[in-house]
Amino acid sequence: MTVTLMKTPAEAAFADAFKAGGPLAQVRKTAFEQFAETGLPHRRMEDWKWTDLRQIISKALPPAARTKADAKAIDALVAATPFADVAKGRLVFVDGQYDAGRSAVPAGVEFATLAEAGSDRLAAGSTDPIAALNLAFMSDGAVLTFKAGSNVDTPLELLFVTTGAEAASYASRNVIVLEQGASATLIETHIGGEGEYLHNAVTQIHVGENARLDRIKVQEEGLEGIHLSNTEVHLAASSHFKDFTLTMGGRATRQQGFITFDGEAAESHVSGAYLLTGKQHCDTRLVIDHAVPQCLSRELFKCVMDGAARGVFQGKAIVRRDAQKTDGNQSSHALLLSDEAEFDAKPELEIYADDVVCGHGATSGDLDENHLFYLKARGIPEQTAKSMLIGAFAAEAFDDVESDAIRGVLTGLAEGWLERRKGA
Amino acid sequence: MLEIKNLHVKLEEEDKEIIKGLDLTINAGEVHAIMGPNGSGKSTLSYVLAGRPGYEVTDGSVTYKGEDLLEMEVDERAAAGVFLAFQYPIEIPGVATMQFLKVALNSQRKARGEPDLSTPDFMRLVREKADKLNVTQDMLKRPVNVGFSGGEKKRAEILQMAVLEPSLCVLDETDSGLDIDALRVVAEGVNALRSPDRAMLVITHYQRLLDYIVPDKVHVMSAGKIVKSGGKELALELEKEGYAAYAA
Repeated sequence: MTVTLMKTPAEAAFADAFKAGGPLAQVRKTAFEQFAETGLPHRRMEDWKWTDLRQIISKALPPAARTKADAKAIDALVAATPFADVAKGRLVFVDGQYDAGRSAVPAGVEFATLAEAGSDRLAAGSTDPIAALNLAFMSDGAVLTFKAGSNVDTPLELLFVTTGAEAASYASRNVIVLEQGASATLIETHIGGEGEYLHNAVTQIHVGENARLDRIKVQEEGLEGIHLSNTEVHLAASSHFKDFTLTMGGRATRQQGFITFDGEAAESHVSGAYLLTGKQHCDTRLVIDHAVPQCLSRELFKCVMDGAARGVFQGKAIVRRDAQKTDGNQSSHALLLSDEAEFDAKPELEIYADDVVCGHGATSGDLDENHLFYLKARGIPEQTAKSMLIGAFAAEAFDDVESDAIRGVLTGLAEGWLERRKGA
Repeated sequence: MLEIKNLHVKLEEEDKEIIKGLDLTINAGEVHAIMGPNGSGKSTLSYVLAGRPGYEVTDGSVTYKGEDLLEMEVDERAAAGVFLAFQYPIEIPGVATMQFLKVALNSQRKARGEPDLSTPDFMRLVREKADKLNVTQDMLKRPVNVGFSGGEKKRAEILQMAVLEPSLCVLDETDSGLDIDALRVVAEGVNALRSPDRAMLVITHYQRLLDYIVPDKVHVMSAGKIVKSGGKELALELEKEGYAAYAA
């Protein structure tokens, strides 16, 4: 029996708005057809059972590619980046469009906007319906190339501001290439205004041989905003990839990472923290594909949920038949600060090689009463003691971030969240 | 300083009385030792004084500096000068020892209406006290008690006590798990804090500790009560004869 789902208002709006045109007409058309096959992912699809986009995106949010916000509102959101003093260069995108006036392009890196770059810069992308939706409607993004052997004075920040001035959806797409031996630190910041919107972000990353990328993503979308992201990473031999994501914003977030080891002896460290409250929802899905031997992967997520927030972590590691000597480990830990908060974890290992070390672990609990008593017994008031313990819990995931300055910013963001929690 | 009258305590979750009518008065400047067999209620007494959750006082009173101690929150007791040196100090991953000490000290100062200690003054204070207790800079850089040996944990407790300068020090089996050299260092740290304004309650199973921290009074606790009190010679007597005579 085939069940045909009725189009939701959001799906109908996408179909109505879709017009294949421009130099990438065929790419967009194929992508939209691919999206239309499944429509918005829903709970009857195994990978989406905790994040039903048909329900979450309940209203029509037609694609838009021009901002309707006034300059003052945009300035305020741009100024809200926590990395103002840390980033050495900044590329600003406002409601899906590159904003040259508010950007400061760093020297030493080859930069083009997606609109300028040719279609050959776009990898085919995954078969994920949300990535396909992005490809069909993508409006702008950064295409960055770090030249072979270069060590550009970074961090460089990609700042995505979604104003919420209009109930619409925006699709941004970045392509990041590190040529052989290049090294860079990249910050991806998402800041949103009030109002309902959908931001669908795709970042494609190619880390060349012996190259190294440190990527830090901070997500502070507006509290009515929906954040969908796909990060696709290809790692060449002996390359090194470190990725950290802090999720504090958004009404609903689904972030997916697809990491493929293309060359031997590469390393991938993916870590993240959630600081969620109210009815916020965040679902992270990672798929690590050990396609070749002797690679190492680590995933660590520390998820703090207060109020009626809901956190999900789904980590899958695939170890192909030839991928001997793979060393893979993932863990997710949740701290539930209220009876209504919820966390689900789904670790998956698919191992076809026989000489590998792989493991996973997941825990979920509330604050340790003994820790709390010890701090209070030294005169620390309860709320301060709780904040210290929550901060310490989340900070374990920050430890993987190399830059002291960036770690300082992350700590400050967590402290701010804890202060607001105390005040609430 | 501390006046305990007819104290009865039971576990919150079980109908089991642990302290059954305990009376004890400690004046400023005095060091009292409580000795007793395992299960006599010694550690429970220390937890009730510090305010640990899970215990219910069913009768009696505890007055500290003229105030009802049992009515005070855990952190209020600490700010008022009550310090419990834990038998098993808790490891707290992710909380740096120095940050913990600083927040603790400044929280107590704030509660007493005193200004925060500046970071340089705080660093100087800790370094000076740490040196005397063989607490290394490396230990101070680690998270609270994480990866500390048994002896290091006990020295760290005494360091906290030295930095926070409480009025009433309750030492719960501070000698357990210490070799003789570590015991001497810890005892010296405790003795350095003896003062006419400060009272101490030293809880121990063995007389050994009392060779180093010489008490003014010794009490024998058994089955939730103080069954005998005397001078420091009582400890030696117990060492010779054991607790059999006081068994419940």
